[in-house]
Amino acid sequence: MSGNYRKWPMVLFLGILTAPLILMYVYLFVDTVTNTPPGAVIPDEFTLEHWRFLKETLPGRPSIWLATWNTFLFATVTTLIVLAVSSAAGYSLSRLQLPARSFFLGGILVLHAFPTVTLLIAIFLILQMLGLYNTLIGVILVKISLELPFGIWIMKGFYDTVPWEIEMAGIQDGASRFQVWTMLVLPQVKPAILALGIISFLAGWSEFILPLVLAPGNDVQVLSVYLAALIADDNNFDMNLFKSVGLFYVLPVIVLFVFFQNKLMNIYSGGSKG
Amino acid sequence: MRHCRKTLAALAASSMLAAGAGTALAQQEVTISVWAIAGSTENYRIDAIKMAADILEREYAIRGEDLKINIESKTFTQWSEYKQAVTLAGEAGTAPNIVVSSHTDIAPWAQAGIIVPVEDYVDLDAWPLNDIYPNLVEIASYQGQVWAIPQDTESRPFFFWNDYMKAIGYSDEDLAGLADKVRAGEYTLQNVLEDAKKMQDAGLVEPGKGFWPRPSNGGDFWQFYMSYGGEFATDDGRLLFDREAMKGAYQFFVDAVNLGVTRKNHLGTPWDQWHGALTSGQVGMWHGGTWQYSEWTGKYGLDFFKNVTFTLIPSGGNERGRANTLTHPLVYMITRQDNEDEMVISGELITIASEPRINALHAIKSAHLGITRSEEKVSLYADDRWTREATEVLLPFATAAPNNPNFGQYFEVMMSGLQAAWTGQKTVEQAVADAEKELKAALGDKIVIR
Amino acid sequence: MGNSRHLGLMLLAPAGIFVILFFLAPVVLTAVFGFTNMSTATGISGGAYVVSDSTMLALKERYGEQELAERLLRKSYVIDEAGLQAALEGGAARPTVEELREKYLGASFGSRREVERLLKKLYNRPAGIRQIKKIAAGFERSVVNVRYDTPEALLAAIEGYGITLTEAQKEALAEVSYTGWVFTAQNFKTMVELPDTWRTMANTLFYVFTTLILFNTGFALVLAIATHYMPDRPAGFFRSVWLLPRITPPVLYVLMWKWLAWDNGFLATILEPMGFAPRNWLLDTPANAWTFIILINGFVGASMGMLIFSSAIKAIPQPLFYASEVDGASRWQQIRHIILPQLRWPILFITSYQTLSLLTSFEYILLATNGGPGGATEVWALATYMKALNNYGGALQYGYGAAMSLVLVVIGVALSLVYLRMFNFKALTESPKIEQ
Repeated sequence: MSGNYRKWPMVLFLGILTAPLILMYVYLFVDTVTNTPPGAVIPDEFTLEHWRFLKETLPGRPSIWLATWNTFLFATVTTLIVLAVSSAAGYSLSRLQLPARSFFLGGILVLHAFPTVTLLIAIFLILQMLGLYNTLIGVILVKISLELPFGIWIMKGFYDTVPWEIEMAGIQDGASRFQVWTMLVLPQVKPAILALGIISFLAGWSEFILPLVLAPGNDVQVLSVYLAALIADDNNFDMNLFKSVGLFYVLPVIVLFVFFQNKLMNIYSGGSKG
Repeated sequence: MRHCRKTLAALAASSMLAAGAGTALAQQEVTISVWAIAGSTENYRIDAIKMAADILEREYAIRGEDLKINIESKTFTQWSEYKQAVTLAGEAGTAPNIVVSSHTDIAPWAQAGIIVPVEDYVDLDAWPLNDIYPNLVEIASYQGQVWAIPQDTESRPFFFWNDYMKAIGYSDEDLAGLADKVRAGEYTLQNVLEDAKKMQDAGLVEPGKGFWPRPSNGGDFWQFYMSYGGEFATDDGRLLFDREAMKGAYQFFVDAVNLGVTRKNHLGTPWDQWHGALTSGQVGMWHGGTWQYSEWTGKYGLDFFKNVTFTLIPSGGNERGRANTLTHPLVYMITRQDNEDEMVISGELITIASEPRINALHAIKSAHLGITRSEEKVSLYADDRWTREATEVLLPFATAAPNNPNFGQYFEVMMSGLQAAWTGQKTVEQAVADAEKELKAALGDKIVIR
Repeated sequence: MGNSRHLGLMLLAPAGIFVILFFLAPVVLTAVFGFTNMSTATGISGGAYVVSDSTMLALKERYGEQELAERLLRKSYVIDEAGLQAALEGGAARPTVEELREKYLGASFGSRREVERLLKKLYNRPAGIRQIKKIAAGFERSVVNVRYDTPEALLAAIEGYGITLTEAQKEALAEVSYTGWVFTAQNFKTMVELPDTWRTMANTLFYVFTTLILFNTGFALVLAIATHYMPDRPAGFFRSVWLLPRITPPVLYVLMWKWLAWDNGFLATILEPMGFAPRNWLLDTPANAWTFIILINGFVGASMGMLIFSSAIKAIPQPLFYASEVDGASRWQQIRHIILPQLRWPILFITSYQTLSLLTSFEYILLATNGGPGGATEVWALATYMKALNNYGGALQYGYGAAMSLVLVVIGVALSLVYLRMFNFKALTESPKIEQ
């Protein structure tokens, strides 16, 4: 950090640019517990009526708690499998001898930027053949696949930074490569696992198009689809209600963010190591 | 739907052999799933099936069969997502047993094998199905078979705000006779533009609020194609693209924008704002649907008959032009299932749900029109002034879109051309030419261009 | 597990399964679908062979088989011994069958409903509509509207009803009566012919490059550099705030923008006293829509560049900055001569990486403008989605949509291969140091 320049112009400059964003998030909170008269921007009364969806099921919608549970299940299972598969594949690509290794690596980079969403029809057909259309597990499998290239690449990047000496020592003590990986190397990349876990969880929690198309049933509805359907209902336009559901939906994300933001920053910039 | 396939098969076999013999059976359970597109006042699309299940269970019990019917339901709010979900589920073989959808879905879903002809499962000669208006049965037919049972009907009128019409020179008598004048083709879409302009110039409504069309995609816009003499299909069942009529319809909206009586970006206006503006007298004229009456008078507290006059959609004023209105009945369809019994029970449920008293609940709650003649004798229905008048003024002149597997595609092309012209992305000529080109490329000899 | 070659493959295998199932197989299928006319009506999994009004119309027009078409369309129900036998086997009561045989043997009808009515009038009326329908179906002696799985089954049924066909007629019939999809290259031809294709392509390029230049790299640089010249606390605060759009679920994030820009939204409310008539700022004009689309995507996109650039700036040795300050360099000179040269590779990385993500992303546009007004903000990926899976009329054109996604696949793969070359792929893939 260079000390000789004045700091406040920079803070002011960014402050102005950031104001609209802050405004939107502040009003996201405020509008859920207040009413604002038409034509005004300052609310004039406090109310909890916008949170009624927690107690009573809104007409035509499944219960919010079911949707929340589905979303949680979706995000958690996705995260766990992404972590397991990427840390194995990442290690393999970083440290183990593989036939056609550079082909695999190149392939992952290409997949990274693949227009998967536009392949939805074909993906639908495959899920149907597997009998997994309109099931949570089906969407989870697709979501995992989408997250894997990123996950593997990140894990590989972190494995690359683990000193070779650790493994050398392990092998000289008679451990197998598998043991070396699980007992010596994995603990070294804990921060990466934590960060990738958070990213995958957030990605799963936010996913919209996949469950919308691949799992339309009420019993497998997730919060993103729940909220989108609520907004789309021609007959029930209620911005404050939408915002309350939205805030409810985003709360876990914000909690995660507050606790782990440094880890998150780590991994997003970790992408550059590749 | 998922459980109890085997027990059902057993039930079916025994009921076949021993119908009427009163054999007592152990309790059987069947789950029938129903999907519907339904806003907040349209819960009876599903609830009618639930009520029917209760009655059907009792009927089975009297016959000595202990049948338990579970209804699993899901409602959607957006057509695009709803049709996507039904289509994909149908492809996957997991379609819900009963689907409530647009009659225009019959053709593609029938061809794809997603639905079965309802006439194979219900008795069209027995009450209440033999009491359904014949034109509605016609609308639910495709290639000589009855594929679905009408669930409701409606039409899409043109509305005028009385005070503003009076302020620009119409008397009470004029207003009372307006519907007739429109029907006779004496009050045309050109008069609509003129009067809307007058209202704005007189300061009665804000600029851009003289005439408000429906704020989003919808079949309603075909009415303006018909206003200029357009037809949907040829006599042998092929789609018809009438260049002149299409041009007329596109041009009407472009003229409205150029005159300043409609906004260029009107499509996409949120619904609450649309309802709110026109029920509070901010808009001079608009067109909408008969069912919206329930929201206007309910949620928005509009005193309808005091403030509003309604008519058919006026003619475009050209030689072939005619006043018209579109009806777009929703229908109950039965999907193809491995389990024959589920299809039979679905048919029985739909039949009961179509009984006048049950259907009237939906009709009146959601301001739709009834499907059977005897519904007019149900007092809930008969006491309702709106359904009575709307039925008289509008229904005899209502046209429905064709049941053609390619109509959806035609619809998309027509709508995107209209939007492009309306928002000034293309000139009218260009939009019509592009639409024609796309239809020719996509549909070949399945569409006639005239 | 000593052999690292096997272990390597084993550890890679789960990822491989996912990739094969959900990347490779879909690409292959999409490539095939792209050359078909698959749609809602034709279905995905194949069709049936049906004689109906519309297929017979095709028989008349394409093959001039007027007479055959009319003959096939004639519905016929005959009370004959075969039908009576079938009724008995299907569980009909013997008296019913006897009564039918006695009174109506040899009678024929033009529709099933007439047969049903007849059955209902019997003294020994069958119990229940279901039984009636079943018996009636047994007397059907025509193929109209019956779905056959194979052309052979259809032809056999027709011959069974005493209509003999020539080979040419058989072929013609098999072709016109098929309800499923067929292979065709028409999709690509249509794509080239339609003016909207080119407009969508132009929209896509505009969207990708404008967002990329203004936000994903441009604004990201501004954020990274500005926070560099700040004390840690405000710097951390700003970085966190700018990360919010990325982690907020898209459905909610776009809702917040709508609240800002809709007719009765925040912007309209605060701008009204300043003399701007309230309007839907989001959809007012194509220019407005684009502005918001780029802002919405840009706010999300900026965070990744910001973080990567920030860490690259942190990696610059501090003495370089001190030295230049002693030399009296202005902040601008520092940025130009120290920071930017260091950021060359990160900028290139972000540019290439995010070109691809923007090219394939449509979620935010779908939720915000849905391509409007009047298709002005319709980009390729969104158009693909709408054609194939999501439109108001319910006409899902899987074939055409697949053809459109193939275009994206080809562009995506080509671009990523170019980038791989650019980023010196060899260096990324050097071999492991322990080989056992």
